Amino acid sequence: MVELDHPFSNGKPTEYNWEAILDLDRVIPCVEGGRVVERTSPTSAKAEIVVKMGAMSMKFAGTVEVIEQDAGAHRAVLQVKSREAGGQGYANADVAFSLSDGGGTIHTAAQISGKAASMGEGVVVSVLDGLIKDFAGKLEAI
Amino acid sequence: MAPPTGTHALGPENATLTVRTGKTGAAAKAGHNLRIEVTSWSATLDLGDDPSASLTADARSLRVREGHGGMQSLDDDDKANIDKTVDEEVLKGTAIAFHCSSVQVHGDRLTLAGELELGGRRGPLTFELSVGGDGSLTGTAVVKQSGWGMKPYSTLFGTLKVVDEVEVAIEGTLGSSASTLQPGLAKGSDRDG
Repeated sequence: MVELDHPFSNGKPTEYNWEAILDLDRVIPCVEGGRVVERTSPTSAKAEIVVKMGAMSMKFAGTVEVIEQDAGAHRAVLQVKSREAGGQGYANADVAFSLSDGGGTIHTAAQISGKAASMGEGVVVSVLDGLIKDFAGKLEAI
Repeated sequence: MAPPTGTHALGPENATLTVRTGKTGAAAKAGHNLRIEVTSWSATLDLGDDPSASLTADARSLRVREGHGGMQSLDDDDKANIDKTVDEEVLKGTAIAFHCSSVQVHGDRLTLAGELELGGRRGPLTFELSVGGDGSLTGTAVVKQSGWGMKPYSTLFGTLKVVDEVEVAIEGTLGSSASTLQPGLAKGSDRDG
């Protein structure tokens, strides 16, 4: 299990960000290479992410679901469950958002197996850290 | 043995011009060390009384031949993707030329000093060549991309990067007369098959 914490800041009101992170059609494309394949309910979607590694890429397909939301505390957890396309690996994560005025924090708890994990935990942490920083940057413009 | 005198034309017919790249960054083990061949280029090496040299290369003619390391071996599609990336994101079709200003001959070794035109800029570069009495020629130069204002390619959120210094190598055989060289760039085979 890899756990990472990242802040994000976009200067927008808490209510605005609250609606944004719960809108899977808006939040999933903020993950580089991520896209909604199909909305399955107001709080869930089938999605995929293509992680480019130069010439090569790894595709993970699965579901994203809002499994917790506390409107009073402005805290929500999005659960990602995905499998590597054409491979044996998986990438699962619980992504917890805690919002405050103008931004918030993202706590990610991820489990990754297969080819990606075979590079070692240090590599996984570095790549995941880069991915979430990029994601947090895109939330600034959401 | 002293190198053969005269003016010699070099191109893909009688020589190879290659670029070797390395990888760095936290996710370096996911990437490949590449051997890339320049498939369209021409050079002239004059070893007469007033030695001189020049080289031009087509920036769109670089083709990946080998990749070592990485999570899995590169297939032809992967190589073609890298070719495209090099073309569209790194070299962008800009002119590549070596403008030699001095040739020093020390026995079978030649030192070519001049300016490399790359990415729209010119910067100093020295090629060290070795020429055998049988006409065989080998040489290398190290090009630091940032010296030409180029940011080394990176991916995976910056965790996998191409090393700033790339090695350019030339290997071939002297003997062709420059007068036989066709105008413009000489074309080699596009792929290894």
